[in-house]
Amino acid sequence: MESEKLYIISVYSENQVGLLSSISNIFTRRNINIESLTVFPSEFPGVHHFTFRVFTTERNATQVVKFIEKKVDVLRAFSFEWQHGGASEHEIISDYLQERKNQLK
Amino acid sequence: MAELFSGAEILLKSLVDEGVDTVFGYPGGSIINVYDELYKYGGKLNHILVRHEQGAIHAAQGYARATGKPGVVIVTSGPGATNVITGVADAMVDSTPVIVITGQVSNAALGTDAFQETDVVGMTGPIDKWTYQIRRPEDVAPAVAKAFHIASTGRPGPVVLDFTKDAQRGRAEYHFEKCDFIRSYVPVPEPDEAQIDEAVRMINAAERPFVVYGQGIVLSHAEEQLKAFLKKGGIPAASTMLGLSALPSDFPYYVGMAGMHGNIASNLMTQRCDLLIAIGMRFSDRVTGIVSEYAPQARKIHIDIDETEIGKIVPVDLGVLGDAAQVLERITERMNFSFHDEWAVTARKYDQVEQAKVVAPEVQRTDGPLTMGEVISKVAEASGHDAIVITDVGQNQLMAARYSRFRSSRSFISSGGLGTMGFGLPAAIGAKTACPDRQVCLFVGDGGFQMTIQELGTILQEHTAVKVILLNNNWLGNVRQWQELFFDRHYSQTRMLNPDYSLIARAYGIRYRMVDERAGLDAAVQEMLDSDEAFILDAHVEEQGMVYPMIPVGRRVDEIMLNRNEWYEDGK
Repeated sequence: MESEKLYIISVYSENQVGLLSSISNIFTRRNINIESLTVFPSEFPGVHHFTFRVFTTERNATQVVKFIEKKVDVLRAFSFEWQHGGASEHEIISDYLQERKNQLK
Repeated sequence: MAELFSGAEILLKSLVDEGVDTVFGYPGGSIINVYDELYKYGGKLNHILVRHEQGAIHAAQGYARATGKPGVVIVTSGPGATNVITGVADAMVDSTPVIVITGQVSNAALGTDAFQETDVVGMTGPIDKWTYQIRRPEDVAPAVAKAFHIASTGRPGPVVLDFTKDAQRGRAEYHFEKCDFIRSYVPVPEPDEAQIDEAVRMINAAERPFVVYGQGIVLSHAEEQLKAFLKKGGIPAASTMLGLSALPSDFPYYVGMAGMHGNIASNLMTQRCDLLIAIGMRFSDRVTGIVSEYAPQARKIHIDIDETEIGKIVPVDLGVLGDAAQVLERITERMNFSFHDEWAVTARKYDQVEQAKVVAPEVQRTDGPLTMGEVISKVAEASGHDAIVITDVGQNQLMAARYSRFRSSRSFISSGGLGTMGFGLPAAIGAKTACPDRQVCLFVGDGGFQMTIQELGTILQEHTAVKVILLNNNWLGNVRQWQELFFDRHYSQTRMLNPDYSLIARAYGIRYRMVDERAGLDAAVQEMLDSDEAFILDAHVEEQGMVYPMIPVGRRVDEIMLNRNEWYEDGK
């Protein structure tokens, strides 16, 4: 049995009505209780940032991130163990937005 | 000043501009403005009036699966919307592009428990690919354009547009602009060259490579790429149920269907192979049996367009993210020509056992009642293996999957992941509407038939020439089979007292013939196939027929029941 740890699931998305509910359903379906949740506008214009704190296994955390990213309105999602805060997130999102902008031309 | 149109009219204009020719639907109070526009639309959009909203979405699924184009559904709010939910979930798990437009009450009434108001966004969000509530007429065209892009690209799926009264009635300008870019959505990931090279190395090094492919081959139009790959590598291949017909049944490297009721060769070879190459499939529990014992000798490569599938069920040595056609093309180009004849030919040995122990007892009887396998084999043969085969769910489905033969792709349409009884009849209507020149044969049991039997009314009204082969055994056969094998023959609520189907057919003005004797089967099947109208062939088959071979739940895929008393033992 894999041990449960506290994970931060960090999600960057478009600002879309109903998205929070379908993301939180991804946790519910796997019987993962959300310990805390914050939603706020990110430093990128038009992009919202959700952070979930959940106790779960590494495998679940990885899977949940993939399923969240599968949502059409989600840009990227990340998971990391609590206290290993992800300093690189800002860079990844910034690169992602630049790359998509270039693809659009 | 530019011309203004109502949101309802913009919806129809957008559909036509997206190339839609047919919609399946049912009117109601919250979608009446759209139907009012449709009234004026004349010949541009063919609207098929179903008898229940569930019928609309399954018909749209049948249409989409037969053509690859998104199926379109228009229904009202409240019960209209909740009645399509089963089909939305079904289309999601089976990767079927459908666009569902649900009427919704006016913006001011949202959240007030207004008449026929329900939380469509909340209900469909978790089970579809994308949901959007359209609240303003100027949002209609962009929302429809996005819906088509999302439903039909990447791994396809259902999209729900919840269309409020205000958006239908309000007026806006209309400019058609196709959507091909959404910032947050990358439908087709570019294959990673290093992963392709690694796959090539693994394939070149394998002694007993084996492919299990799924519907991803059909969805990516990768049929020819798969053939080229298998030929160059000399690699035998099995199909999942939804992958059926992607390869012709007589393709030299094709060894049959994998899974619970699949062919012995495909399951045994899965266990013996040293490299498993899974393409556009999702390791359903019906395919893997007990997961920890699945393909135990094999290194595994998984090629899929959906990142969530890679490693979800079966840990793999290499995941290759991308479109199956692109990935296969690149791998084939770089890999060595190989032969694995000794390995590939082991399929024959297993086929001989299956023929002797399973197929012959099913299709070569000389006395006793008709069997399901006999009826299906006869229809397959008499239709030149060229019909679109639709199934419902249960024994009819498993037997149709086992005993049909295919010549061209998109010829097998069935509810796989969700296993929705009642799927068959409306899906057949959708497929026939899409492909009027092809023979469409539905295999359905007496249970599932009655779940959506009201759609006979649609056939009556639309003259949809669907051929219904009712495998009628007066039981919910698949559950009965489990009860017989695993629940001490406790036949709990599986016996059905059926109506007189000849009277039902007559009431709907549909041609009908009953067959219960071997001697009459050929003529009955021929009459059905020759009919240019809809036809119900009521085949009274063996009441306690069984689907074999069978891998019971919780077993390895090489633990195969050949019949009630005999298990497959390799080497004998």
